[in-house]
Amino acid sequence: MAIVELAGVTKAYESKVAVSCLSLSIEAGQIFGLLGPNGAGKTSSIRMMMGITIPDSGKISLFDRSFDRKSLERVGYLPEERGLYKKMKVIDQLVFFGCLHGLQAGEAHERAGDWAERMEIADALQKKTEELSKGMQQKIQFIATLLHGPELIVMDEPFSGLDPVNAVLVEKTLLALKEQGKAIVFSTHRMEQVEKLCDSICLINNGEAVLSGNLRQIKSRYERNHVIVEFEGNPDFLKSAEIAEAKNFSGHAEIKLKPHGDAQKLLHEAAAAATIYRFELVEPSLEEIFIETVGGKANA
Amino acid sequence: MRNILLIAKREYLEQIHGRAFIFSTVLVPLLIVALVAWSIMTGRKADAGKHIAVASDSALLANAIRYQLLEDKDAKYTVDVAAPASEVDRDALRKKLQSESIDGILELNTSSADAITATYTSLSSGGFDNLNGLKNALNRAVAGERLVARGINQTDADVALKPVSVETLQLTKDGKTGKTKGTSPFYKAVMMLLLLSMPIMLYGLDMARSIIEEKTSRIFEVMLAIARPDDLLAGKLAGVGAVGLTQIAIWMIAAMLFMASALAATVLTGNFSIHFSLMEGLLFPVYFVLGFALFSAIFSGLAATCETSQDLQKFMPVAIIPLYLGMGMLPVMIKDPNSIWSIAASICPLTSPYTMLPLMGLETVPAWQVATSIGLLILSIWAVLWISSRIYRVGILMYGKRATLPELLRWLRYS
Repeated sequence: MAIVELAGVTKAYESKVAVSCLSLSIEAGQIFGLLGPNGAGKTSSIRMMMGITIPDSGKISLFDRSFDRKSLERVGYLPEERGLYKKMKVIDQLVFFGCLHGLQAGEAHERAGDWAERMEIADALQKKTEELSKGMQQKIQFIATLLHGPELIVMDEPFSGLDPVNAVLVEKTLLALKEQGKAIVFSTHRMEQVEKLCDSICLINNGEAVLSGNLRQIKSRYERNHVIVEFEGNPDFLKSAEIAEAKNFSGHAEIKLKPHGDAQKLLHEAAAAATIYRFELVEPSLEEIFIETVGGKANA
Repeated sequence: MRNILLIAKREYLEQIHGRAFIFSTVLVPLLIVALVAWSIMTGRKADAGKHIAVASDSALLANAIRYQLLEDKDAKYTVDVAAPASEVDRDALRKKLQSESIDGILELNTSSADAITATYTSLSSGGFDNLNGLKNALNRAVAGERLVARGINQTDADVALKPVSVETLQLTKDGKTGKTKGTSPFYKAVMMLLLLSMPIMLYGLDMARSIIEEKTSRIFEVMLAIARPDDLLAGKLAGVGAVGLTQIAIWMIAAMLFMASALAATVLTGNFSIHFSLMEGLLFPVYFVLGFALFSAIFSGLAATCETSQDLQKFMPVAIIPLYLGMGMLPVMIKDPNSIWSIAASICPLTSPYTMLPLMGLETVPAWQVATSIGLLILSIWAVLWISSRIYRVGILMYGKRATLPELLRWLRYS
């Protein structure tokens, strides 16, 4: 069963087309990454999924049924910018959002306490939101999104404002939720997180899906023409005729071979010039696929 | 409905715990009481306690005037007599006046018994406030002297000249006759207008500011994924409106406790007493709720088009002009509560929340007029909510620039 399905969805503002004929499908127990440069149409797509805006054409289904607001009780939404009441105490705020999603106050209170422990912000519960750092506020927004146990979790840039430690905490939480069978959609610019977390992706550019599907399958479509070399010694082998492009980070080189470039030949040249600790033929990273696909078309 | 109640409850609790609520609950009535008290005190002082010197060639007439002036117990005159007054005496009195030892000099020229002339000298034009009292006292004294001069004995002359007090009565539309209350209806009308207009304005603007704040802090983005825009607006209106009603209830209870106290009996003496009827007590919250709903609905739509509180400033005339119109109508209503202008102001939805109750304090307003006024207000609220909720739905998600009129019209079509 598709938890979310967009079929030929289009949305235009004034003369600008924000989303053009976008189709995608997200299953339960799947983490789905919505990628794209700034202004590509990611937030517009998410807003339509959440019923905040209505598509000009096309169809949106939630939980295998045409969109209706009742379905939103089963959805948790984390917007791109934090939307919290600054003067309100964190615990009151979490209980308020929990109740709006159909929980009873007592249950919401209990769950808020459990989540605060899990996200390591129990000390902040009695504070006002405005007293907290951006990262803490982001974690509170994260809890508010999950408090009512949604089956579908939609997050617009969930890692923004988080330090590496908290980013890992959020990643682990998302993976645990996936294990519980939740469908998770998030948009991000951070490709390493997409590679780590996502099962499927949709890359949007200028409102159109330019690349979508299972992440492994997408990557397998690309040749293993990238080489990672860790070495010590003379870096002259990076000027080899087999190499189209090379980046050297003090003994760690990321190399793109020419079409039909010979990796074995390059390995011999490298071994002759330097001591090689690692020589690995890999698929292109998602970041490289992203840049190659979007190229110079990005708006920002 | 559950979401509306939850939003209203959150809004109510946040506002009721805010400093603004506590300050306005205490300060607004204090301000109104201070204004009315100041007005009464200054009014009394203009009429009372004057120190007057009467200078005349005739001691008999001067003392008769003094007697008449002192008869006016409310005016509490202090009267000195200089009679027969020489030019030196008159100069001395002028010096006293210049040094403000006395408030005025009444000089009489009695050279011709049939053509007595008088002059009154004071330091400012304000000193003539008590001229009617002086004129009456002078005329009665001269008439008494003339009657005695024509052979009528003093007792008969006093009886003939004894002033007749006129009691003013008011016949109500239902045929009942009651005493008019002097200046009390005026103060009551002013109090009603202030007590209604201040909360309506304050809470209407508060609602607008709250919408702008939530728009800029992007809370709407989260809320719209949970609740419908109409539920958000309804919850906010109900929550802020309930805060206003709470404040009015506090004021009413405080006023009732005050009226029942010994202090009220000491302060509210003489002609000055303000009485609120049961109907006024019932209609007060009704007009507050309707007035608040109308102006808040207008402001909700306008606020959704704004990016900052500064943007809201340009819409201030929308709130202020109806209030000024209501205040401007007050003298007209006091002068002629039955005039077409008074009736129009009490029915027009933009002014009726401010003018109907003050008008009821001055005049028995027919039931049809109250019903029409409430009916028109409800219709207007419905119409304004229809437009505002459409602008609100789109406006709260529009960031970056203030909406123009053509954009607003497009928004109405979108939703």
